[in-house]
Amino acid sequence: MVDIALEGLPDAPMECLLDTGALRTRMSAELAPLAGIELSGVLTEQFYIGGLKTVGALARVGLTMADGTDEFSWDAPVWFCDPWPHPSGLEGFLHYFLVTINAYDGYLDLQPQP
Amino acid sequence: MPTMTVSGHQYDLDRRSVEAALQGVLPEPIQEHFVVINGRRWPPKQVLALVTGLDRADFTTHQARRALTRLGFSAARATSSSGHHPVASSAAGPLRPAVSGTAKRSESPVEALRPFIGLWVAVRGDEVLVAAPSAKEVVAWLAQHRQRAQSMFRLPDSEEVITGVAPQ
Repeated sequence: MVDIALEGLPDAPMECLLDTGALRTRMSAELAPLAGIELSGVLTEQFYIGGLKTVGALARVGLTMADGTDEFSWDAPVWFCDPWPHPSGLEGFLHYFLVTINAYDGYLDLQPQP
Repeated sequence: MPTMTVSGHQYDLDRRSVEAALQGVLPEPIQEHFVVINGRRWPPKQVLALVTGLDRADFTTHQARRALTRLGFSAARATSSSGHHPVASSAAGPLRPAVSGTAKRSESPVEALRPFIGLWVAVRGDEVLVAAPSAKEVVAWLAQHRQRAQSMFRLPDSEEVITGVAPQ
């Protein structure tokens, strides 16, 4: 799991599932109006997530990760989905990080690749 | 129903009436002391002010804590948490108990989150800051109390959501 702050919601980073098999970054549509992101008239698409049919609306938004000392921000296409069954996979994410999954020691290491 | 005197006024209070008075109310940030009611941590003064209608300046935290523990609610002192969350994070981000004292918790992270199933929660370190039915309420609470969460998520409330189902 990784904590990612959506632009406009710096105090409430979302806990997201890093899904290396997912093509797209998806979040709950409930978050968009809270962050001031306008979704009317944007491209929409139907998805199946965990077998549940949902509709995503596309917006390009700023995302930020922080470790208490440093921050890294990037712009990514995010699909805001309704209904939203559970945490999401990430697409625009893997283009920006070197990801090391160490299952033996039980940690995930993310290094920004600006 | 036990009668207790708070700030010179007498009140008939019991567990059920206190629990009922807190329905639909969100707990404020925990400064130091808290009591556990309906599976959530509450500042003792917030609770006693709600159930008695008294101004919070009319009694101390210790008076509120004592009154509520007399009704059978557990109370404890929160430990400080750093709130730092490295980018190199551990998988599943375990939540550890953050309390010491009379209500010391030893349950697993899953048990600690069980009261919030189906809700949006904001966490920082070991602590659940707030839980509410919508992300909007959680974000509003964070802004109102000038709190910064480490992460926010919704706890799934059904087996289907957790495990997925075959596409129809």
